[in-house]
Amino acid sequence: MENKKKSIGALLLGKWDTKTIVGIAIGAALFGVLMDFGGIKVTTNTSLTSAYVVLPIVGALFGPLPAALTGLLGNTIADLIGGWGFWFDWSFGNAVAGFFIGLLPIYGAKIGEGVFNVKHAIIYAIVTVLGVGIGFGLVTPLLTVLFYSSELTVTWIQAEAAIISDASVAVVVGIPVLFALARRNARKTNLSKED
Amino acid sequence: MKKPVIELKDFSFRYKSQKEFTLHDINLTIYSGEKVLILGPSGSGKSTLGSCINGLIPFSYDGEMSGSCKVSGIETREANIFTISNHVGTVLQDSDAQFVGLSVGEDIAFSLENDAVSRPEMLKKVDAVAKIVGMDAFLDALPYSLSGGQKQKVALAGIMHNDVETLLFDEPLAALDPAMGMAAIDLIDQVHKQHNKTVLIIEHRFEDVLYRHVDRIILMNDGRIQLDTTPDELLRSDILKRNGIREPLYISALKNAGIRFGENEHLDSIDELDFDQYRDAVTRAFQNVALSQPKPKGEKIIEVSHVSFGYGHERLALNDVSFDISRGEKISIIGKNGAGKSTAAKLICGIIRPQKGEVRINGKDYKALSIREIGRMVGYVMQNPNQMLVKDIIKDEVGLAMALNGFDEAVIKERTEKVLRMCGLYSMRNWPVGVLSYGQKKRITIASILVLQPDVIILDEPTAGQDYKRYTEIMHFIDQLNREYNITIVFITHDMHLAIEYTDRSIVFADGECIADDAVFKVLSNDEIISRANLKQTSLVTLAHRCGIDPEHYIHYFIDSERGE
Amino acid sequence: MDQRLFINLSPGNTYLDKLTGKTKVRLFFAFIILLIATWDMRIIFPTLLVSVFGLYSLKSKLKSVRAITVFVILTNLFNLFLIWVINPDYGATICGGSTVLFQITSFYVVTGETIWYFLVRFCKMMATFVAAMTFIQCITPSELAAGLYANKIPYKVCMIVSIAFRYIPDIMRDFTNIKISMQARGMELDSKRTTLWQRLKQNVLILVPLIITSFDRVGNIANAMDLRGFGKNKTRTYYSEHEDGKGDGQMKILYTALYLFIIVVIVLRIVKPGEFLVWYPFQN
Repeated sequence: MENKKKSIGALLLGKWDTKTIVGIAIGAALFGVLMDFGGIKVTTNTSLTSAYVVLPIVGALFGPLPAALTGLLGNTIADLIGGWGFWFDWSFGNAVAGFFIGLLPIYGAKIGEGVFNVKHAIIYAIVTVLGVGIGFGLVTPLLTVLFYSSELTVTWIQAEAAIISDASVAVVVGIPVLFALARRNARKTNLSKED
Repeated sequence: MKKPVIELKDFSFRYKSQKEFTLHDINLTIYSGEKVLILGPSGSGKSTLGSCINGLIPFSYDGEMSGSCKVSGIETREANIFTISNHVGTVLQDSDAQFVGLSVGEDIAFSLENDAVSRPEMLKKVDAVAKIVGMDAFLDALPYSLSGGQKQKVALAGIMHNDVETLLFDEPLAALDPAMGMAAIDLIDQVHKQHNKTVLIIEHRFEDVLYRHVDRIILMNDGRIQLDTTPDELLRSDILKRNGIREPLYISALKNAGIRFGENEHLDSIDELDFDQYRDAVTRAFQNVALSQPKPKGEKIIEVSHVSFGYGHERLALNDVSFDISRGEKISIIGKNGAGKSTAAKLICGIIRPQKGEVRINGKDYKALSIREIGRMVGYVMQNPNQMLVKDIIKDEVGLAMALNGFDEAVIKERTEKVLRMCGLYSMRNWPVGVLSYGQKKRITIASILVLQPDVIILDEPTAGQDYKRYTEIMHFIDQLNREYNITIVFITHDMHLAIEYTDRSIVFADGECIADDAVFKVLSNDEIISRANLKQTSLVTLAHRCGIDPEHYIHYFIDSERGE
Repeated sequence: MDQRLFINLSPGNTYLDKLTGKTKVRLFFAFIILLIATWDMRIIFPTLLVSVFGLYSLKSKLKSVRAITVFVILTNLFNLFLIWVINPDYGATICGGSTVLFQITSFYVVTGETIWYFLVRFCKMMATFVAAMTFIQCITPSELAAGLYANKIPYKVCMIVSIAFRYIPDIMRDFTNIKISMQARGMELDSKRTTLWQRLKQNVLILVPLIITSFDRVGNIANAMDLRGFGKNKTRTYYSEHEDGKGDGQMKILYTALYLFIIVVIVLRIVKPGEFLVWYPFQN
């Protein structure tokens, strides 16, 4: 029991070597680029962002804490390079969401080794909705109201919009991407040629 | 007695993720001040050997190790990578990944920053090493504005601070155009001589490394040292081809002329060869052969006339460029990076459009066509297959373009199967893409473009970073497509060997202008074009000059005889 | 360099540009924290003016600054409108009292307090935006990393920031190339001719190769860093962090004063909280 606890703790923390540092950096850069330039148009004025797909990848490769940091820094970078300003209330929401979205190694999904199945996908979907919900439904509004004294209902409307759009991209686009990446990394040994 | 710097005894290594050992029983001693080339095809273990010497193994890669590996007297498994890097400086192959700073100065300073050197001292040290590599005037330059050669110089400067004993270059030529490659080999030679370093070069491009003297060559294959010898010895033998390494062209040419080299001849530099004894044999072999006639041209598919194009306010990327491409041709578009060859390819694909002049495809101005519509006539194969592969099963990848274009299931199936057969992939159609080798992936990207039955396919550096064996494999396949299915092929490349062996016509770019458009043998024997385009004179031209024969005819003859084989 | 990016990669030569990363980071956070801490127009408005002056002093040549400013103004106005739609008398809870200026329906009223609150909030948001814009325009990513490190952020985290900025242009280039190659293979990118579902599916096709090629770099970059001693010591120095100049000394006085002032503001809010959040000058 003691041993198992320790290993989950290790998984949660991740291994902070140079590869992890670079992995988070590349993840944050990719997150920033997709946030600002990788929008999926819904109507002429609104679009979904595909940036959230980066978080499960970082999570799968390096662990949830790196995924959280990717969300935090990625969102800050997106704001900076996009010229939007500096809104740490949203960055922290992203960090919390990133932590949950990045929990993949905890429930046994290993994209790098080609392990991702329907069970993992279902857990991923639930955890993601939960994480985005807590991040944007709790953390961000709390910070917004606390620091910018915004009207609660309006903050909520914005939070809900973010929860719905970001969670749906993370699930609807994220799951096929995770499956595709896992299959690309799978090492099948018994391949035979067919006629 | 010289001091040994690197000593491997009965050394073997297996990566944790692999079943087989990558290195077997390596016994190797390299002495202080030596310049050694570690030669071998991809997968021979030469890069793994490099990682064992610079400490990345076992620091970054887990695995099983036996025997001993000592660097400057330190057993690598007992030291950490930081200690080892005080003795061995490494310049990695990927000059972009290696450039972690946001400016030249910052990247050169990276190891000093990590050593917490104070800034005034850092500036002095950066300046000193930048001068050695000739980058002192570019300290504020951003990585995005540098050429591959400049990035490599920065990388070299960045490892010279600690007065390391050994410099290790991992495939230094991989990303460089021919002239830059020569400059790199020159710089390595200069550092070796003036700063008294031990130099290890890991490469498979043998002739290019031989541009400057090498003391010793370690030939690797299948994880073992096959031969540990001098360049002359190696050139005399015929072991190179068997190990998937390309022989220098002048050596092949002389061997083809039936010449056998004597025991004491210096072969490693064409300038030192005594041609008096070869002249007769070379001339004889060449005189009795009738040269091939140019193939009759098919109808024109692409006509580019007087096109100019510029990005923003910079100088024109294409300046009044005209050329055409006819059905069934094999063309190489050559020139140094930034000369306009990639811009020309983008122009043909409609990614950028002419600001002046026009482009006609199949006789029609393409102004009204979208990239997507042009894509059905002109296929573009990117350099890195990983940027193109999206599906996990081969047949889905190959069929994707048709699905995106809204074809019927039945038509997709039929045509996908046809293309899979053409490309020799049919028996693997249900395989996942992830298990394939680089060459196979390349083949799939080509198939995934061919499925739309374009009139022309453009391949961007199809063989970049590939060893001779894989290179030959990829190029034979493309050549076969041209021969058997009359598919028009355009290569964008700076590889002279590729142009010589696999194309009939070369379009040469320099500074946004089209400076030549002619048969390959004519282009490559024209000194003025060669130097303007930053290309490298092939050793065949030197050989022809030294034998007193016309280089143009000689290259023509050589190409014919190579293809006849 | 890509004109769509707001970050500056080479240092400029105005007064603000020449400051050290440390000073820039401290100044920026002084402004941001002050703006968060206060709801007093007497503080917010001068801060806004100073920020605008700072941005102006950079003489930025980026045309897009204007466009984004207009966009941010509109978004903020829209947010205020939204608040009004939901609770027209919101000012009452914030400023206390509700002086009806004119009435549209019995629910939709315009009160002096709400307008004042909107004005304060608008200035506060705009000042935050302008301060951030000034910060982005005058700091290079290397200075940002060095500046964060000088302010006690672990250097491994600072390294994430500078590596991320280093590879953003490379990733953008890959992104464009992958998109174009998919287009040439037949992907319709025109949103008028595709359904949302198709666009979502297409995105998977672009993301898979983009993610693979982006993360392919990680191993090589990490090796290059390990080989040059990254992580060797507990401390690190920065090439981009030059010695303090005259401006740094002057700005040190400014930000020290600002931080002291922030402490006073916060302490006052805790010790002597006003009845209402926002100071309202027209109270009867």
